[in-house]
Amino acid sequence: MESKPQGLRSGGEGGARRIAVDLEDPKPRDHHMIPVWFFVGVILLIYGVIILGTGIYEFSSPPPTVLASTHPAVWWGALLTVIGGIYVYLYMPKKS
Amino acid sequence: MTTSFPLALLFADSHETQAILSAHAVDFLIIAIYFVVVLAIGFYLKRYTKSSEDFFMAGRDITAWVAGLSFICANLGALELMGWAASAYQYGILAAHYYWFGAIPAMLFLGVVMMPFYYICKTHSVPGYLQLRFGEPTRLVGALSFIFLTILMSGINMYAMAVVMKVMLGWDIQLSIWISSLTVAVYVALGGLVSAIFNEVLQFFLIWFGALMIPILGMVEAGGWSGLVARIQRNFPQGDYTHLWRPMAHFADNPMGIHWTGIVFGLLMGSLGYWTTDFLVVQRALAAKDLRAAKLAPIIGSYFKMAVPLIVVLPGLLALGVLPFKLVPESAVGPGQHSYNEVLPLMLARYCGPGLLGLGITALIAGFMSGMAGNVSAFATVWTYDLYRPFLRKTGTDAHYVSMGRWCTILGVVISIGTAYLVMQFASIMDYAQAVFSFFITPLFATVFLGMMWKRATPAGGFWGLLIGTLSSLGMWLLVKLDPSKLAWIALSTNAKPMAENMYRLLWSGIIAVIFIVVVSLFTRPKPLEELSGLVYGCTEIPSEGHLPLLKRPIFWAAVSFAIFALLQWIFW
Repeated sequence: MESKPQGLRSGGEGGARRIAVDLEDPKPRDHHMIPVWFFVGVILLIYGVIILGTGIYEFSSPPPTVLASTHPAVWWGALLTVIGGIYVYLYMPKKS
Repeated sequence: MTTSFPLALLFADSHETQAILSAHAVDFLIIAIYFVVVLAIGFYLKRYTKSSEDFFMAGRDITAWVAGLSFICANLGALELMGWAASAYQYGILAAHYYWFGAIPAMLFLGVVMMPFYYICKTHSVPGYLQLRFGEPTRLVGALSFIFLTILMSGINMYAMAVVMKVMLGWDIQLSIWISSLTVAVYVALGGLVSAIFNEVLQFFLIWFGALMIPILGMVEAGGWSGLVARIQRNFPQGDYTHLWRPMAHFADNPMGIHWTGIVFGLLMGSLGYWTTDFLVVQRALAAKDLRAAKLAPIIGSYFKMAVPLIVVLPGLLALGVLPFKLVPESAVGPGQHSYNEVLPLMLARYCGPGLLGLGITALIAGFMSGMAGNVSAFATVWTYDLYRPFLRKTGTDAHYVSMGRWCTILGVVISIGTAYLVMQFASIMDYAQAVFSFFITPLFATVFLGMMWKRATPAGGFWGLLIGTLSSLGMWLLVKLDPSKLAWIALSTNAKPMAENMYRLLWSGIIAVIFIVVVSLFTRPKPLEELSGLVYGCTEIPSEGHLPLLKRPIFWAAVSFAIFALLQWIFW
């Protein structure tokens, strides 16, 4: 059987219960976990570099796609590289 | 719910065609990197999942943004992307109803009205809430139906992914099923819910960055929105593909064969059922670090949900405008022709060369895997907390339940693989799965909602309302299956298409559940008020947001979201 709601405190036998849930967590928890944003940054950065490199190569060998002349791989790769780089920089785990 | 209806379209794809896309070495490199990163996240997070609260509820330590993105990504599967792009080609912008009217009000309702009760009572699951509010029998009905549906849908998704990979890239079905499912099994079994959530956030970014190229380049080619509308009118002069509400005055005036009442009442009821009681998505908000973050999770999700038509509906519309050939229904595909279901891969092939193509394929794989991870993590939680612990082993240690969760994750994936093979043999299972899914959602919503809002609702009322509402939906479905002329009874018109029938069945089953809950409750004994504290409106002290600055209040962001939603309805009226 599921336990009684943990956020409730019994007010005695048959008595009313009171809620003990805060709207905001008063104390931030310290667990040293690498934030998910760092992983997001890493994969975007890697993908950005690969796609940018592919886009640069395509200047000499353009793919048979519509609007290939706009070189989407170059600017999309550059965008991913910049966004990924920013995330990696901001959320890099600190040695301390 | 938004994944429900076009799903069946994908499975009809039995014709043998040449692969639509041709991947290069760089594309395979991008896909391989994705698998390495998601597995690395699972191994890294294992050290942080020591207790059952860590494994099943991510330690209830997730921030609002992470919970919000995960909330939306658990629903943003690749079937959704491909299925609704196909629907947009078929029905035009009407498909956007399932992202806007069929999602936003319900998500905001969850965040503002229902989330405080879920969160304050500290339940681990939606069936757990049913137990606290209505007792064990109602929980048992809710948990069993959820477990059954979760595994069924997970297997179907797995098979669908394999079929899509075969159609798109010519990949072997067995290989796709085993590689993707084992990867999900490893990272969820290692890191539990937190690993599933981390990967969902990662997948969220990949889906967006992988799919956004199509609408960007498509709009450039079409000459903007006005250019696109002109092209569609030139290519398809007989239909109205670019208005949301204008063609819905009569059943026969729109390609979906639905009246506006079906959308307003049926879709609203169905979406409330899905978004507020499907534990797969609600679990993400329950893992939030505090009540404010839990309320914000679906509200943040609503902004991204509103934007999803950009990468789903718009590609379908662009295909109507720019493709030099017409797509046809699955049943009419001949040599050299393509079906509606292939619209997204076709658009991907149209604009994306090597590298970008790999990113787009990774987006689809990420979508499939996030859906699967959501299913197995929710399965493990409901099995362990709502079936194993209360009915099979009440006195296990915390470590025992964590171990059960890990094994259960692997078991869930294995059963899903079995279901996928079953579906491979009996394709008609997929048609029925969608209907089965729709049987439960509105009666469950009616039960949970009345349980939260009405002190007088009794355990007997909740149980019988849920059961009879579900059985009535099954009965209506069987009635139309056995005698198709009865469609006019259920959907109010013989012109109704399967989507319209679903809408009305959702509506009627919800109403029937409400009637039974109310009537049975009035004739049975309610729970004492002190037992309803933390569970029901009027008996629960909900912390006030009054002291917070405006920009930190969930209600403010819900209001802004609703205003944008209303503006979109007006713009595309």
